[in-house]
Amino acid sequence: MKRAFRNLLLTASVVSLAATSVAGAEPVSVTDMMDRTVELENPASRITMIPIPSTSTVIALDGSTERLVGMHPLAKSAITEAILGAFFPEAKDITSDILAGGASTGFAPNVEAIAALNPDLVVQWGHMADDVVGPLTNAGFTTSLILYGDEAKARAIISMLGNLIGKPEKVDEIIAWRDETAAKIEAAVADVPDAEKPSVLYLLRAQSELRASGTGSYNDYYINLAGGRNAAAELDGLKPVNAEQIAAWNPDVILLNGFESELDVSRIYDDPVLGATNAAVSKRVYKMPIGGYRWDPPSQESPLTWQWLATLLHPEKVEFDLRGQIGDWYGKLYGHTPSTEQIDAILRMEMNGAGASYERFAAR
Amino acid sequence: MIKLRKAGVRFGSRWIFRNLDLEAPVGRSLAILGPNGRGKTTLLRSLLGFQALTEGRREVPAVIGYVPQSGNGDIGYTVRQIVATGRVALRGLFAMPSRSDFDVADEALRRVGMERFSHNRFDWLSGGERQLVLLARAIATGATTLVLDEPASALDLRNQDRFLKVVQSLREEGSHAILFTTHLPQHAAMVADDALLLFGIEDRLCGPVDDTMTEANIARLYGLPVRIVECRVENGSRPARGIVPLFGQEELIAS
Amino acid sequence: MGAFGLLLLAAMLAGLGLGRLSIPLPTVAAILFQDIVPVTKDWSVLDERIVTLVRAPRILIAALSGAALAMCGAALQGIFRNPLVSPQILGISSGAAFGGALAILFGYSGFMLVGSAFAFGVLALLSVGFVARVDGRTETATIVLAGIIVGALFAALVSLVQFVADPNSSLPAIVGWLMGSFASATWPRLMLAAPAIAIAAIGLYLLRFRVNVLSLGDDEARSFGVKVERDRWIFFILVALGTGAVVAVAGVVGWVGLVVPHAARLIVGPDHRILVPASALLGAAYLVIIDTLARTVSASEIPLSVLTAIIGAPVFALLLRRSRRQENAR
Repeated sequence: MKRAFRNLLLTASVVSLAATSVAGAEPVSVTDMMDRTVELENPASRITMIPIPSTSTVIALDGSTERLVGMHPLAKSAITEAILGAFFPEAKDITSDILAGGASTGFAPNVEAIAALNPDLVVQWGHMADDVVGPLTNAGFTTSLILYGDEAKARAIISMLGNLIGKPEKVDEIIAWRDETAAKIEAAVADVPDAEKPSVLYLLRAQSELRASGTGSYNDYYINLAGGRNAAAELDGLKPVNAEQIAAWNPDVILLNGFESELDVSRIYDDPVLGATNAAVSKRVYKMPIGGYRWDPPSQESPLTWQWLATLLHPEKVEFDLRGQIGDWYGKLYGHTPSTEQIDAILRMEMNGAGASYERFAAR
Repeated sequence: MIKLRKAGVRFGSRWIFRNLDLEAPVGRSLAILGPNGRGKTTLLRSLLGFQALTEGRREVPAVIGYVPQSGNGDIGYTVRQIVATGRVALRGLFAMPSRSDFDVADEALRRVGMERFSHNRFDWLSGGERQLVLLARAIATGATTLVLDEPASALDLRNQDRFLKVVQSLREEGSHAILFTTHLPQHAAMVADDALLLFGIEDRLCGPVDDTMTEANIARLYGLPVRIVECRVENGSRPARGIVPLFGQEELIAS
Repeated sequence: MGAFGLLLLAAMLAGLGLGRLSIPLPTVAAILFQDIVPVTKDWSVLDERIVTLVRAPRILIAALSGAALAMCGAALQGIFRNPLVSPQILGISSGAAFGGALAILFGYSGFMLVGSAFAFGVLALLSVGFVARVDGRTETATIVLAGIIVGALFAALVSLVQFVADPNSSLPAIVGWLMGSFASATWPRLMLAAPAIAIAAIGLYLLRFRVNVLSLGDDEARSFGVKVERDRWIFFILVALGTGAVVAVAGVVGWVGLVVPHAARLIVGPDHRILVPASALLGAAYLVIIDTLARTVSASEIPLSVLTAIIGAPVFALLLRRSRRQENAR
């Protein structure tokens, strides 16, 4: 854990050092996550975002949707259908018609459609085959690549995007919040012996098939950070599993993904086998909240995810005011403060409210 | 009994045959002769019902003892299975061969002299043996009409003799109507009572072998002069008649 | 045949005893026979549910599917006199795959999924029949070609469904379902598939000698008084029923219908009176074993069609070489 932190601090600082600009109309130069140098005359003001989760990160760094001229259809639906849609109703007018083939074919760009948006920056995935990047660079777009996965990369994304739009101070603020929150949680659960750590299963899919997050996933990172053990640690990455395997692991807590919109905690409680696991018997099945983005993958809101999970895993050891944190930080990130009802929706109080310890998140 | 009345088959605009009347009563054997491409096969397929008639009528029994040139036998059934299968076909979807079916199959194999092979794989037999098995299968169906597609024409002399002898014995028995196509006039002369010579679409000749299979008619049929030679064989059980094609001497037809 | 029966029984017992949750074999037996033999309940609720609600229906579905696919394969290979034919050839699998994918796309599962898969399997079959029927006659070779055409069309439609599917919900579900798995086997699902599979299996069993008759060839069968086209359609409908039901509950499970009849033929010979039931038993045992591997080898489920292909392809190659050598040595 310590080493992981040093690594990510290192990555973050490398990226900040590479940025030579401060706010204003000055040239920016950034080393992207594939070690390419990205240079702009001025901070990016017309951005086309192809990766889905980082789109809301740009909104958080800028406090507005003004710099976005194009985004992935799934990023758009995630934004317009949740709280950011309420904060930024104008987001629905940003085009998502930027891919070579519908949303399901992935991330291949439609270069002509993007050119029509006249972007000064296109952000694309770096871990995919060159055929999603080549067309962009060949067309002459300034392209910055991002990688996705662990906490270090999450910080590097925030840092890279923040510097590209000329908001390094916002980067520092967000990184400091992550450091501070992680340290608080680590301190609070430090004295929990391994044997007493609850085993936690994160299900990336649960509707028609069951798919669990193993070692190396971001879910694995925050389960460990929050003082739990990953029940599926023997898996490497995201793998399909069967009900019997889950019964064999018999997790103490089950986290349902926030992606499958129809998925309800009753999926677990009503299942004859999954419903007999410790998690179901002790009412510790929760669906992941959805804020500016889904809380499952890394994002600018990750410290909220960590606090939420630490509170559920160790209610007697941590004392976070999660609703207060949401209010404060939504103000800082998006410039809007959510209402009580909006926070209830983020935390999915209606579905999760009956779960063990969830009353800790109830509005007072 | 198998019958065609004013039958005709047309492919596109081309008639293969027209106005054809044909009758093969039980107890007689009919040979169908004609040069390649004159419609022997089409006529045979029409008789069997594999080829729809363009005009005319066809009267056939439900089961015909059909003997193809070579069976579809690469699946690996035994000879006995192949023969017994022919009996079951008509008895309904769920029918299985019974013991009596196998008894009949064994009897039919004896009839053609193939009983020694009854447990061999059909597809591992020689061409001549296969045709005998297929003939046994046709007999085993109990059909009174046997239709043979160019039987024995691809066999060596020894096997031709073997096959023709079985056909001859069936003919002598008199309980089947036998029809066959052939390229070999001599086969017709040996085992047929009647011959049908296909000269053209509507031009044909049908009648007893002795009347129809003359040197002139055969020469006209194939465009090649022939001589019919009677061989007197010492101690022979029967006279032998040779039909000798005079290859390379087409000019003799005119004379 | 008895040996095949024993193999199937052994495979099913092993399947009941094996799993990621270790339950001792005596306990499994006690759970299964608790209503018949008096036993002390020394197992947990979870143990009992795993055995009765997870393993038992899953093993039965696997066995039924294996039997159905192998019987369909054996019958089709006989009718077409072609050892390379499998239930996939008639486009039924592709049609059923499209039906299933479409159902998932629109958010249906359970009965609607099974029904849609089956309906489109039959639709594919009818299309094959329509394409292959020329001048009132349907020839075997034309059917195979029509099957390839219709199969390719439905495969493209499956791609189209995947293209428009939501990558966050329906797409992974469709992909997972298409790869084939018995992971979602439950008693209700078994009850959904069992009648169709039973009709197909009983029909194919009763008609098994008819395969011998049809395998003689269209013309020869016709000359014996067989209504070749009608009989063939009866088989196709049974095959569509069996294959469609399997695809509906387990996705597209390849190779079983191709390889198992070959293996069985090598052991019991080509007579379909024995080959069809032998294929059924061997196919059932094969798929139970494969599925037991799929769910026990690692913590993660291994896609079924991956295993059937990885095991099926080399076995098929071996069988092919052996039977060719036999041919040459005769």
